[in-house]
Amino acid sequence: MKDILTRDIRKVIDDCPEVGRILEEYKIGCAPCSVGSCLLKDVVGIHNLDPQQEATLMYRIEKAIYPSRNIKPPVVDPTKKVEPKKLTYSPPVKKLVDEHVLIKRLLALVPAIIEFTEKSPKVDKALILNCVDFIRTYADKYHHMKEEDILFKYVDEKSEIIQIMYKDHITGRNHVKQVVEGAETGNKAQIKEHLFGYRDLLTQHIKKEDEILYPWIDRQLSTAQVGEMFRRCNEADASVGDALPKKYEAFIQELERKLLKEVK
Amino acid sequence: MSGCPGSKTIDFSANANQEGSETGKRPSQLRQWPIQFHLVSPQAPYFQGRDILLAADCTAFALGDFHKDYLKGKSLAIACPKLDSDQDVYIEKIKSLIDDAKINTLSVMIMQVPCCFGLAQIAKEGAEKASRKIPVKQIVVGLEGNILSEEWI
Repeated sequence: MKDILTRDIRKVIDDCPEVGRILEEYKIGCAPCSVGSCLLKDVVGIHNLDPQQEATLMYRIEKAIYPSRNIKPPVVDPTKKVEPKKLTYSPPVKKLVDEHVLIKRLLALVPAIIEFTEKSPKVDKALILNCVDFIRTYADKYHHMKEEDILFKYVDEKSEIIQIMYKDHITGRNHVKQVVEGAETGNKAQIKEHLFGYRDLLTQHIKKEDEILYPWIDRQLSTAQVGEMFRRCNEADASVGDALPKKYEAFIQELERKLLKEVK
Repeated sequence: MSGCPGSKTIDFSANANQEGSETGKRPSQLRQWPIQFHLVSPQAPYFQGRDILLAADCTAFALGDFHKDYLKGKSLAIACPKLDSDQDVYIEKIKSLIDDAKINTLSVMIMQVPCCFGLAQIAKEGAEKASRKIPVKQIVVGLEGNILSEEWI
């Protein structure tokens, strides 16, 4: 089993797709991951499963890879009910989770933005560039920079999970560049492809952060580090001022109102 | 048995010292004096910019690894929300610790008995009155010295 634990999850799943299906059952979504370079032991560890669940999962994975091997199933106490773990966050991490809500509201509007764009005789350049401004200023500068400059510094930045987050940020920025190019040249297909690409990427990215990465980082932080990070995030927010988040919340509200009226 | 759970008689001596290592000496992690909340001053140097543990009196006796796991690296104040008088002073002291001593975090450790939650309420009120905002954590200790919950509030 030791040899499997230290292998890249992508290679494990490629060699034995059943492992991907088993992980899915435990809500560990490695199968569709484009990178997949995390080690199996880290993948299991980061999800903080109940000990009974983890023992059963590891048994099933080993059995799937080595069906003929004589492996003893774990002793599971059926009277011990496994309660789903409630997600809780430290105050600075909770603030980052709350910022995701506004970003998710934009992501939810992407189909309506595309429908509106396709129905319009020509691309509403101002609408698309305003969405790009939200992404670049609120999602990227205001939110992602706090992750990159503060949060990720409290863990090993070379770890696969953090590298995947950085890669997602870069991929997202590349989608946005393509959206801008589409808006400048009036290329509706380009806007559609990359706005949907951004939506799909960020939807998965935020889910990974809210459910896996942030709780994993929180588990490693000392009380003193939580206090320090809270102060540093507050200082970062103060440096841009209260007006910035308020401005972008008002933008999303207005966009929702406009698109719900225009696209029915 | 009825009556106040905070003063109800329970004997769990049969469960005492069931597990754990007792080898080696455990040094005290206390780095200050005084510690009683009425006696400490928010201006004391050992509070400035520090992580503070506000512990209900009984917690240190209930929790076997109080020093190693919770007091280490923190400055301390102790209080009893059931028996102490003039508890409005405590609210003002928490406000002053946050605003004047600019403490980094406040961890409030209480026992599971209902009256002890009054100390968490005092901490909340003090934090709400303060103009600075800091993370506040609540740790609830069971009567037999187990940690029942530990969460940011």
